[in-house]
Amino acid sequence: MRQDLSLLLPILLPVAGGILVALLPAMDRERTRQRFVAAILAVTAVLAVSRMWGGDHALILSVTDIVAVQFKVDDLSRLFSGLIVLMWLLSGVFSFSYMHHETGHRQYYCFFLISQGALLGLAYAGNYITLYLCFEWMTLMTTPLVLHSATREANRAAGQYLLYSVAGASLGLLGIPLLLRYGVTLTFTPGGVLDPAALAGHENVVRFFSCLVLLGFGAKAGLYPLFAWLPAAHPVAPAPASAVLSGVITKAGVLAILRVLYYAIGPELLAGTWVQYLLLWVALCTVLMGSTLALKEKLLKKRLAYSTVSQVSYILFGLFLLDKTAMTGALIHVAAHSVCKNALFLSAGAIIFQTGKTEAGQLRGLGKEMPVVFWCFALAALGLIGIPPFFGFLSKWYLCLGALESGLPLLSWLGPVILIVSALLTAAYLLPIVVQGFFPGPDFQYKAVVKRDPDMLMRVPLLLLAAATAFTVAPGPLTGMLRGIVSSVFGSGGGV
Amino acid sequence: MFEGNVLLLIAVLWPMCGALIGYCIGRRSKTARDYFADAVGVTELALLAGLLLGVVRGAEYTLHVAYLIERGLHFRLDGFRALYGCIAAFMWMMTTIYSRDYLSHYRNRNRYYLFTLLTCGATVGVFLSADLFTTFLFFEIMSLTSYVMVIHDEKPGAMRAGQTYLAVALLGGMVLLGGMFLLEHLTGTLDMELLLPACRQVTDRRGLYLAGSMLLFGFAAKAGMYPLHIWLPKAHPVAPAPASALLSGILTKAGVFGVLVVSCNLFLHDPAWGTAILAFGTVTMLLGAVIAVFSIDLKRTLACSSMSQIGFILVGVGMQGLLGEENALAVWGTELHMVNHSLIKLALFMAAGVVYQNLHKLDLNDIRGFGRGKPMLLFVFLMGYLGIIGMPFWNGYVSKTLLHESIVEYIALLEETGRPAGAFHALEWIFLFSGGLTAAYMTKLLVAVFVEKHPTEQKRMDAMNRKYMRPASVFALGGAAVLLPLLGFFPDTWMGPAARLGQSFLHGSAPAHAVVWFSWTNLRGALISLGIGAAVYIGVIRTIFFREGRYVSLWPAWLDLEDSLYRPVLRAGVFVLALLCRLISMLPTWFIRLLRVSVLRPVRRPAARETPDPLNARAPEVLKNVTGSLSFGMLLFGAGFCALLLYLFVVLLIS
Repeated sequence: MRQDLSLLLPILLPVAGGILVALLPAMDRERTRQRFVAAILAVTAVLAVSRMWGGDHALILSVTDIVAVQFKVDDLSRLFSGLIVLMWLLSGVFSFSYMHHETGHRQYYCFFLISQGALLGLAYAGNYITLYLCFEWMTLMTTPLVLHSATREANRAAGQYLLYSVAGASLGLLGIPLLLRYGVTLTFTPGGVLDPAALAGHENVVRFFSCLVLLGFGAKAGLYPLFAWLPAAHPVAPAPASAVLSGVITKAGVLAILRVLYYAIGPELLAGTWVQYLLLWVALCTVLMGSTLALKEKLLKKRLAYSTVSQVSYILFGLFLLDKTAMTGALIHVAAHSVCKNALFLSAGAIIFQTGKTEAGQLRGLGKEMPVVFWCFALAALGLIGIPPFFGFLSKWYLCLGALESGLPLLSWLGPVILIVSALLTAAYLLPIVVQGFFPGPDFQYKAVVKRDPDMLMRVPLLLLAAATAFTVAPGPLTGMLRGIVSSVFGSGGGV
Repeated sequence: MFEGNVLLLIAVLWPMCGALIGYCIGRRSKTARDYFADAVGVTELALLAGLLLGVVRGAEYTLHVAYLIERGLHFRLDGFRALYGCIAAFMWMMTTIYSRDYLSHYRNRNRYYLFTLLTCGATVGVFLSADLFTTFLFFEIMSLTSYVMVIHDEKPGAMRAGQTYLAVALLGGMVLLGGMFLLEHLTGTLDMELLLPACRQVTDRRGLYLAGSMLLFGFAAKAGMYPLHIWLPKAHPVAPAPASALLSGILTKAGVFGVLVVSCNLFLHDPAWGTAILAFGTVTMLLGAVIAVFSIDLKRTLACSSMSQIGFILVGVGMQGLLGEENALAVWGTELHMVNHSLIKLALFMAAGVVYQNLHKLDLNDIRGFGRGKPMLLFVFLMGYLGIIGMPFWNGYVSKTLLHESIVEYIALLEETGRPAGAFHALEWIFLFSGGLTAAYMTKLLVAVFVEKHPTEQKRMDAMNRKYMRPASVFALGGAAVLLPLLGFFPDTWMGPAARLGQSFLHGSAPAHAVVWFSWTNLRGALISLGIGAAVYIGVIRTIFFREGRYVSLWPAWLDLEDSLYRPVLRAGVFVLALLCRLISMLPTWFIRLLRVSVLRPVRRPAARETPDPLNARAPEVLKNVTGSLSFGMLLFGAGFCALLLYLFVVLLIS
C-alpha cells in the first residue's frame, strides 16, 4: 500500500477550521462565521464521502518500530466516517439557528469542528496507538461542548464526562501492552492479531485484560458501569451538541470496541468464555436499565440520554454475541440509532428553542403549533422503537435472529426477550409525548394556536433526518457494505 | 425488482397514496377532499373486484417485490385473499361515503381521512401478504394508523381507551415479532406456502408450539380473543361510528386472518392446537355475549357482540384442528362467518352511528324511541339484527349452521369411535346458548330503539323523522343492509361459491355431500337458539335489567380485567423494575463516592480559589473539581498523548 498523505486532509481540515474560528476576530460577524463553518463542514463531508469508493488507503507515520500513527480506510471506517460527516453537517446547520440563544459562538464552533476532526481520525485509525490517541483527543475536544453554558450543572457534568471518559480510556490503554506481548502487530487486522504461539497457556490473562479494555471503551458507549456521564452531560449541552454526543460520539466507543474485539483480539478467543457471558449480561442489563430509567425521567433531553444508554447497548449486545447475523444487526443499529437519536435531539432542541419547555409533560398540543418538528419527532420515535418500515426494525430483526442463532444457553432467548421488552419501554417513554403533542383533547384552545415551527436552518436538517428514518425501505447498499465487513471479520468459514 | 403482477402492490399502495393526496387536497377544499376519498374507495373496490373476478376464473396472482425492507415483500392473491381484500375495500368505500355526513361537525377531519385511508392500504396489505414478514409489516402499520381513528374525538374516555388499544397493539406486535424470530430460526422460512411442509419437519415441537403461541398472541390481540379482548369493548364505542364499523368488521378480521395462517399452516389438523383455540374461542364467545347482555350502551353492546362473534369464528378454527381431514364444514363455517360478521357489523355500526349523530348519546335510556317512525333506519337495523341472530334466510344463519354442524359432526365421530363426547355436548349447548344470548341482546337494542317510547323527549325525536339521514348515508347504509338477506336467501348462489373460493387457503376440502341449508336438522339448531334468546330476553332482560322504567347496568366494575388486573400488575411490575434499575445504576456512583471519602480525598487549596484564573474565567469550578483529584492526573495523562499526536504530525510533515 502506498502512503496516501491526502488521508490527513479530512482530519486536519476541520481542526484548522476550528482553530481559525477561534483565532480570527472576523468570525465575530455571524454571516462570515456561518459561511466559514458551513464551508468547512461541506468540504470535509465531500472529502470523507470521496473515500467511500476506491481501494483501501493507508498512511503510516512511524516514530519508532513500535510507536506508529497509522490511518487506513476500510469499510468500517467508511461507515463511521460517513455517519460522522453527515451528522456534523446537519447538526452544524441546525446550530446556526439554535445558537442564537446561546453565547460564546466562536468557542462553540471551534470545538465543534475540532471534535469532528478527532472523530474522523478515530474512524480512520489503523492501529491501536492511533485509536487510543484519537480517543483521548476526542474526549478532550468534546468536553468544552458539554461545558458550554458554564453553569454549575454544566461544570459538574463536564467533570463527570472527563472523569468517566479518561478512566475508561485508561483501561483501554491496557490493550497496547497486551497486544505488544501477545500479538503479532498493533495494526488492526480483520479477525484479530493474536499470536497463537505467544498466547498458549496465557489465554485467561489475555481474556481478563480484554474484558477490562472492552469495558473501558464501553464508557464512551454508555455501557454499565461507566455510563453515568451520559444522562448528566446531555441535558446541559446545547441541543446540536447533545445530538452529536448521543448520535455519534457514543458510537466512537462502539467503534473502539469493534476494532478491539474484531480487529485486534479477535472473536475466537472470547467466544463461549466467561468474558463473553459477562459482557453480554452487562450489555443486557444496560439495555433494560436505560429504558426503565428513561421511562421514569421527566426531563425530555435526559430521557433521551437514558434512551441512548439503552440503545447503544443494543449495538454492544450484538457485537458481544460474536455472531455474523448479530454483528450485521449491530452495525445497522449504529446507523439507525445515529439517525433517529439525532433527529430526536434536534427536535427537542427546536422545541426548547421555540418554547423554552424542557419537560416531557409540558408538550401538550405542541404538535398543533410545531407540526413539522413533531412529525419528525414522531417518525424518529417510531424508528427507535423499531416499528416497520422504519430504521430500527431492521436492526432489531438481525440482532434477535443473531441471538437465536448464536445458540448460547439462556442468553440466546433471553436476549431477544429483553430487547423486545426494551422496545416496549421505548414506546412507553416516547409515544406519550407524540400522543400528547398531536391529540391535546377537545378542550384545547385551537384559536390560541400560533404556528411556531422554526426557520429553515433548523427545519431542513430535521426533515432530512426524519426522511432518513425510512431508509429501511431500500437498505440494499448499506447492508451490502455491512455484509462485506462482517464476512471479512469472520472469514469465509461461517460464524464462530 | 418486481416479479409477478404489479397490480397487487398498487392495490396496497393506492389507498396510501390517496391518503396523502387527499390530505393535500383537504388543506384547500374539504368538499373536494371528501369526493376524492370516495373516489379512492370506489377505485380500490373496482381494482380488487376485478382481481377477484380473475381469481374466480382460475387465475392466481403473485408478486415478489425484491429489495424492499431487505427481505423483499411477497404478495399472493388466492380465493380467500381476493375475497377478503374485496370485503375490506367494500367496507372502506361504504364507511368513507358515510363519514362525510357523520363527521361533518367534527374537528381534524383531514387527519381522520388521512389515517383511515392509510389503514385501508395497510389492511389490504395484510390480507394480500404471502409471507409473515409482509403480514407483520402491514399489521404494525395498521395498528398504529388505526389508533388515530380510535381517539379521533380526543375526549378523556377516548384517550384512555386509545391508550389500552395502543398498548395491546404494541405488546401484541412485539410478541408477534418474537414468534416470527423463533419460527424463522426453527424453519428458516416465513413464506406461508413453505411453512406447512417446513413445520412438519421441525423436530423441536415445543419450540414450534412456543412460536405458534407467540404468533397467536399477536394476532389474537387484534382479533379480540379472551383474555386479550380488553381493548375491544372500550375502543369501539369511543371511536367515530365509521371507524367502529371498520375496527369491528375488518381490523379484527386481520387478526383472525393471522390466526388462520398459524392454525392452517403451522398446526394443520393438529388436535392439541385445535383444542387450545377451541377453549379460548368458547370463552370469548360466551363472555362477549354475557357482557353484551349486561351492557346498556348501544355501541358497547355491539362491540361485545363483535367479541362474541369472533369467539364463534375461533370455535370454527378450533374445530378445524380437531376434525382433521374431515373439516370441510368447519372450514366453510369459519370462513363464511367471518364474511357475514364483517358485513353485518358494517350495517349495525353505521346504524348506531346515525343514532349518535343525531342525539350525541349512546345510553339505551337516552336513545329510547329514536327509531320510531324512521323506516329506513329500521330496515337497516333489522337486516343486521336478523343476520346476526341467525334467523333462517338471512346470512348469519348459514354460517352459524355450518359451525354448529361441525360440532355435531365431531360428536358423531367421537361416538362412532367410542370416545367420550360429553365435553362436546356441553360445547354444543354453550354454542347454542351463546347464539341465544345474541338474540337476546340484539332484541334488547331493537326494542329499545325502535319500539319503546322515550318518556320525555319523544317529540324532539319524532321531529327528526325526515331529516335524520342525508342521501350519502342512505346510500351507504342501504347498500350495506341489502346485501344481508340477499346472501341469506340464495346461499347456493353466493355462500357456497364464496366458501369454495377460500377453502384452499385453509387447506380444506369441499364437503363430502352437498349442504342442504334449510333441512330440518339445521333449522332445529337455529330455532333452539332463538328460543333460548326469547326466554333470556323475557325472563332476564325484561325482569332483572329493566327496573322502574329504566335499563340498569348490573355488570360489577371489579370484573373488568383491565382495571382490576392488568393495569395494577403492570404498574407494580414497572415499579419493581424501576427500583431495581435505579439501585443498579447507583452502584458505580456509590463506589466513586466511597473512593472520594476514603483513598481519593480531594486536596483543598482555598487560596487558589480567591483569584480566578483569567484564562479559565468561564469554567473556574470544573478546574476546582478536577485539580487535586485522580481525574486531573488522568486529564494530564490524556493531554500528553494528544501532544504526542501533534508532534507526530509535525514530524511527518517535516520529513
